This record gives sequence, C-alpha cells and structure tokens, in this order.
Amino acid sequence: MEHHTGFVLPNSGHNRDAEASKLGMWLFLFTELLLFGGLFIVYMVYRYMNHDAFLMSSFELSPVMGTINTIVLLVSSMTIAMSITAIQKGNTKTAIKLMSLTVFLAFVFLVIKYFEWSAKIHHGLFPGMEHYTNLPKGEALFFFLYFFMTGLHAFHIIIGVIFIGVVISKTKKGLLTSDNYSLNENAGLYWHLVDLIWIYLFPLFYLIH
Amino acid sequence: MEHPEKNKDNQPTTHHISSYKEHFGTLVTLLLLTFVTVVVSVFGANLATLSVATALLIATVKVVVVAYYFMHLKYDLKLYSWLVLLVIVLFVAFTVLTAIEYINR
Amino acid sequence: MYMTTLVANTNFFQGKKGLFSWIFSVDHKRIGLLYLYSLMTFFIVGVTLGLLMRYELLNPGKDLVEAKTYNQLFTLHGVIMIFLFIIPSIPAVFGNFFLPIMLGTDDVSFPRLNLLSWWIYILGAIMALSTLVYGDGPADTGWTFYAPYSVRTGTNVSMAVLAAFVLGFSSILTGLNFIVTIHRLRTPGMSFLKMPLFAWALYATSWIQVLATPIIGITLLMIAAERMLGVGLFDPSIGGDPILYQHLFWIYSHPAVYIMALPAFGIISEILPTFTQRTIFGYKAIAFSSLAIAFVGYFIWGHHMFTSGMSGTARFIFSMLTFLVAIPTAIKVFNWVATLYKGSINVQPPLLYALAFIFQFMIGGFTGLILGALATDIHLHDTHFVVGHFHYVMFGGTGFAFFGALHYWYPKIWGKMYNVKVANVAFTIFFIGFNMLYFPMLIVGLMGMPRRYYDYLPEFHLPNMISTYGSWVLATGLLLMLGNLISGFYTSKRKIGRNPWNGITLEWQTTSPPPLQNFDRMPVLPKNGPYDYENKPSIKE
Repeated sequence: MEHHTGFVLPNSGHNRDAEASKLGMWLFLFTELLLFGGLFIVYMVYRYMNHDAFLMSSFELSPVMGTINTIVLLVSSMTIAMSITAIQKGNTKTAIKLMSLTVFLAFVFLVIKYFEWSAKIHHGLFPGMEHYTNLPKGEALFFFLYFFMTGLHAFHIIIGVIFIGVVISKTKKGLLTSDNYSLNENAGLYWHLVDLIWIYLFPLFYLIH
Repeated sequence: MEHPEKNKDNQPTTHHISSYKEHFGTLVTLLLLTFVTVVVSVFGANLATLSVATALLIATVKVVVVAYYFMHLKYDLKLYSWLVLLVIVLFVAFTVLTAIEYINR
Repeated sequence: MYMTTLVANTNFFQGKKGLFSWIFSVDHKRIGLLYLYSLMTFFIVGVTLGLLMRYELLNPGKDLVEAKTYNQLFTLHGVIMIFLFIIPSIPAVFGNFFLPIMLGTDDVSFPRLNLLSWWIYILGAIMALSTLVYGDGPADTGWTFYAPYSVRTGTNVSMAVLAAFVLGFSSILTGLNFIVTIHRLRTPGMSFLKMPLFAWALYATSWIQVLATPIIGITLLMIAAERMLGVGLFDPSIGGDPILYQHLFWIYSHPAVYIMALPAFGIISEILPTFTQRTIFGYKAIAFSSLAIAFVGYFIWGHHMFTSGMSGTARFIFSMLTFLVAIPTAIKVFNWVATLYKGSINVQPPLLYALAFIFQFMIGGFTGLILGALATDIHLHDTHFVVGHFHYVMFGGTGFAFFGALHYWYPKIWGKMYNVKVANVAFTIFFIGFNMLYFPMLIVGLMGMPRRYYDYLPEFHLPNMISTYGSWVLATGLLLMLGNLISGFYTSKRKIGRNPWNGITLEWQTTSPPPLQNFDRMPVLPKNGPYDYENKPSIKE
C-alpha cells in the first residue's frame, strides 16, 4: 500500500479480526437453527394432527441404526473440538489427524444413512413412489418429513466435510497456526451445529414408542 | 501494529484452551444421556406421552452441554450466550403461538 | 497485516476503472452503487407492470389483458417490488455506502462476503425474471405462493420460489455483515448509544434479516420439493394443513415488512436533524423503539390470516399483539414531529420527502390498525383497502424515504448537485400522483371491491379511474425526478464541499465523493452524542 498521509484509521474492515469471524459464524449458525426450526414446527403440528400415524410409521425406522449414528456424530464432535485444542497448543500434526478422523466419522455416518435410506426406498416409501402414495393419512407426511429433514441434515454433513477438508488443507500448508486458528474454530462450530440438529432429529423420528 | 485506544468491547478475549480431558468428559456425559434416552423410550413405552417430553428434555440437556463445552460458550464473551438465548426465546415463541392456534382449533 | 492507509485527493470513482473493477470490487461504496443501479432497473420493471395493471383497471371489463395475464402481472409485480426492490433497497444501497462511513471505518467487516451477496442477489434476480421468457410463464399465485394452489398451478412457480430462496440468502448475508460491522468496527469513542440512528435502524433490521429469513427459506424449499416430488405436504387429503403454510410464510413475511420499514425510519431520523439544525428529540426512544418494533414484529404474523380458519383464541392473541406494535411506531412519529418544533427549518428536497413520509406513513399506519382489528378485518380482508394500506406503508413510506435518501446523500455520493427547483417540482407531482393513485383504493376497498381481479362492478368505476389517472401523474413525477438526478450528474457545475447541508454525522466530515478509504483525516465525534449541534466539530474543507 502507498503511504501518502501516514494517517491510519484505528478500526478497519480489512484487518484480521478473529472475534468478528466468530460472531459472523454464530450469526450464520442462528440462520441454520431457524431453518431447521421451521421444519420442527411443521413436524410438531403434523404430529399433533396425526398422532397415531406418526407412531405407526416410526416403527419402520431402526433405533439401532439411529443410536449408532448418534454415537458416531457425538464422537466426531469431540474429535473436532480436540483438534482445536491441538492447534491452539501448536500441535499441527495432531490437529490434522483429529480433523481427518472427524471426516472419516462423517463418512461412516453417511454410509449408515445410505443403507437406511435405500432400505426405505426399496420398500417404496420415498415420496411419490407407489407404496408411498397408498400410505394411510398422516404416514405419508411422516415419511416426507423424514426424508426431507434427514436429507437436509445429510446435506449439511456433506458441506461440513468440505469445510473441514478445506481447513485440513490450509492447516497442512501452514496457513493456520496456533495464533491464527479462527477458521478451525468456525469449522468446529459448524460441525457442532450439525451434531445439535441430529440430537433433536434422533428422538423425534426414531424414538417415538 | 497495536492500537491501545481501541474500544473496550472491541478487544479480543483472552483465549482459553480447553483440555483434551475436558472434551473427553463431555463426550462421556453425552453418551450417558443418549443411553438414558434410548432406555426410556424403548423400555419405557408404558410411560406413553411422558416419554416424548423426557426425550426432548434430555435432548435439550445434550444440546446445552454441546453448546457450553464443545462450542465454547463457557469461555467466550457473554454476548454469545445472550444471543443464543435470544434465538431460543424467539423459536420457543414461534412454537408456542403456533401450538396455541392448533390446540384451540 | 493489511493496514488501511489513506491516499489523499483520490475519490473512490478514480483509481481502478472499467466494468470488472466494479462488479468484482470489494469496496462497500462501489457495492452500494452496484445495488443502486440494479435495484433501480428492477424498480422500473416493477413500476411498468404496476402501470399495466392500473391500465387494465381503468374501465370495468377487459381493457388490456386476460384474467390469467393479470394474475401473472400482480404476482410478478409483487415478487419484483418486494424481493428485488424494497427488501434490499435502503440497507443494500445506503446501508452499504454509508454505514461504514457513519461508524468512522473504512469498510464492512466482511468485504468479500458483501460482494458475494450482491452476486447472489443478481443470480436471484435473473432466476425471478427468467420466468418471463421460458417455461410455462410467470407464476400466477400472488407473491405469497399460497399452498395448495402454488403446488397445483401449471405456471412456473418452482423457479419463482427458488429465486426468492436465493434472494433470501443475499439478504441474510447483508444483515450478518452489518451486525458484525456495528459490533466490531465503530470508531473509538463511539459507544452503541453514540451511533447515528440510521445505524441503529440498520442494526434492528439486520437482526430481522438474519433471524426471520431462514423460516421462509425452508418453507419455499418445501414448496419446491412438493412440486418436484408431486406430493403435497400441505395437502389435507394426506393429513396436511394448508394453513400451516400460511403460518410459516407469515412468520417470515410479517417481520419482513419491518425489514422494509425500519431502515426508512433510520433515514428520516437522519434527514430531520440536518434540516432543522438541532438535535433529534428522544434519541434513546427512537433507537430502542427500533429494537422493540423488530422484536414485537416477530409475534404478530397471524393478523394476515384472520379469515383463514385459524382458531378464535389465536386470532384474539394476534390481534392484541398487533396493537402493541403501534406503540413504538407512534413513539417514533411523536419524536420526529417534536424534532421539528423550534428547529431552524430549511426546506430542501430531502426534507420534503421526509415530511411526506411522515404524512403517508401515518395514513398507512392507521389503516393498518383498522386491518389489525378482528371485526373490521373480516369486512376489509382481501379488498383494495389492503392494497391501499400496503402501498401507503411501503411506497408512501419506504419508497419516499428511499428517494429522500437519494436526494440527501446525492452530493456526498457523486460530489455533484441536482437542480433543486426541478427536484421540488418533481416531488410535488410525485406526491400528488401517489395520493391520487392510492387514496381511492382505500375508499373503493371500503365499498367492497376485492383485490386480485382484472374486472370489477360498474359502481366502482369512478375511484378506479381516478386511481389510474393518478398512476400516470405519479409516473410523470418519477420520470422528472430521475431525469433531474441523472442530468445533475452530467451538467452540475457547482463544486460540492464536504458538507453542503451542514449535517453532523461523520459522512459529512470527509470529501465528496469520499476517498477509497473513506476518510482523509481522523473523523471527530461531537461531544454529546451524534446530533449534538451545540458542540458540532468545525469542518475545514
């Protein structure tokens, strides 16, 4: 930059500001929470209106699969949190390992999800399929919401994997270090959000007994 | 370059480093809570609607634990906790108003 | 670390030139102007559609278009005016341009995100307008996309809905950027309670943008998914509820009217102190009432659905809460009027727009109370009264504030001046045309003329004729106003100093147009708050 007047504004939007990034990330998380919040309202109303149908359809879902996936996500939440501790302490290699482990667990989650979905689709329960259109009142809504909400959640997992992937590669290049790790923190916050939403999805779909 | 005259509320916070132990403890707590939910819902079927409430209650406790420890709310500026609270209040208000509508139909 | 260094004697128009230096610029001032030019383009498209609708309603029966085309006209008019013009309008143009300057900083917190949100806006705009030329024609559902019709109609609803989703993203990113900027980049010594009121208004607005937009995002995605999968999520035959769609839609869209209105309140709170040369009356009351409006605005969405079959209890609650929002709004109006009292009033075009705002917004507000009352709403719901009310608030309110802001900050943005006499004449024609166009709608609505029909009974002929003639007067005033602003840019000989209106907020301490880094010397804050005219720092050229 050219120095003409030598006068510098104290606060600049072009400075690195970790606190600003964090606040920005939290605001973004709020939008995500309310995005799913809208769906939870739909779920609440339809479950109230079609109580028995929701109960019946939930028996189609496997609580074992759901529980395993819950555990997988919780562990991945811990590994990403630990990776931030690692980078703060300057252990870049440990941080990369822990983030890679998080990505691996994300894939495990997605594979389990894939098997669950294909089993349902095999039974023709995907909206628009033959069996689906003949479902009794209310059950169709359950499966529409099931696919829509878990689908949207899985989409967020994929975005999270890409996000963490970017952070891993930047950390490898040495761009993120023990005094510049706000991107690591933000990736972590995002990943925890994905976890938070699953914490609610799990009992609402798998555990209505 | 440092600017000592910066606004107080613009100062970055001192960075707390959570220990690996703390993270592991958090995970154990979360797994225990998960275990409790599954047990309550699978084996507590005769509790009927009570199980929905307990399941949601436990989920909420889990969410608070994640936000407080994993998401660092415990060590961050109080601002973040207040904002999270604001969002929760809004969402609860949306659901309560909608629920009032449907229950009284 | 990148540090801001100021380059004397170059303004932000100089330096890099060429189209790419604009559409890929991360400078908040250039992005603000990008928004201005794109917004005005869509505004003119929207106005044209509106004029066509008014022409169709000149006489009973068919004048110009068939019923279906008329339905598409009002849908597209609504989508363009709401999602492309009025929601982004003041924040995206004047917020982008002036918020960082008023806070005494050089940019928003995330300059690249700011550019991204303009690009997303353009993408959404292209998607919305593409329905005009391809597929089965523009949507004919009304801008509310009510289910189940929006799921069943053959027109291109999916694209329109996805466009609104994309535009919502752009709105969220702008809001997010402003909140962080206000928290992090205020100049030393500027506490929250020493911020200009425009910044307060934007702060409240941004919170609505961030916390309400996602709800409509997901709702519109559900509509798109329903159309793609051929399954009605809001279809009663499978246990769904069409009214739930309305709830979700209005959970966003009611707060959204405050996204449209609050920034306008901020503009008025800036214009009035400048042209009365005195401190604003009730600074804190105005600042906090913005937050109060934003907050209460979340809980009153149900008043759009009084006749939908909602439960009686909920109608009662929503009606009561609706009346609550009148309180902070009235607080603002009283404070504005009190600011005028004993001020040294300097009648200039921006002040005229501000005064027209207060007058018209009050008509809009009072008709709003009539619609918020349960009993009267049953009669007035879905009549032209609603159309009149809405345009008094949005066009007579926000639209006038937008053009007032344009006249107010014109010399600062371009360093030139328009012809003030012509501006006054244009304002007068515009003002008369506006009231001729919309006041008859209130009357004809009371008489019982429903909205959203291309035809009407013969007894409604006279008010409709006046209204259509009014639309032509309004268009004349608008053309004269825009022509005057554009010709000012090319013919202005007057050299504009830093502070042509003798304003007090920080943007008047820098050069016109501002340099790339906004300030060529350290901005000085007045001693007691942003409108402390008694201790106004002297500004050397």
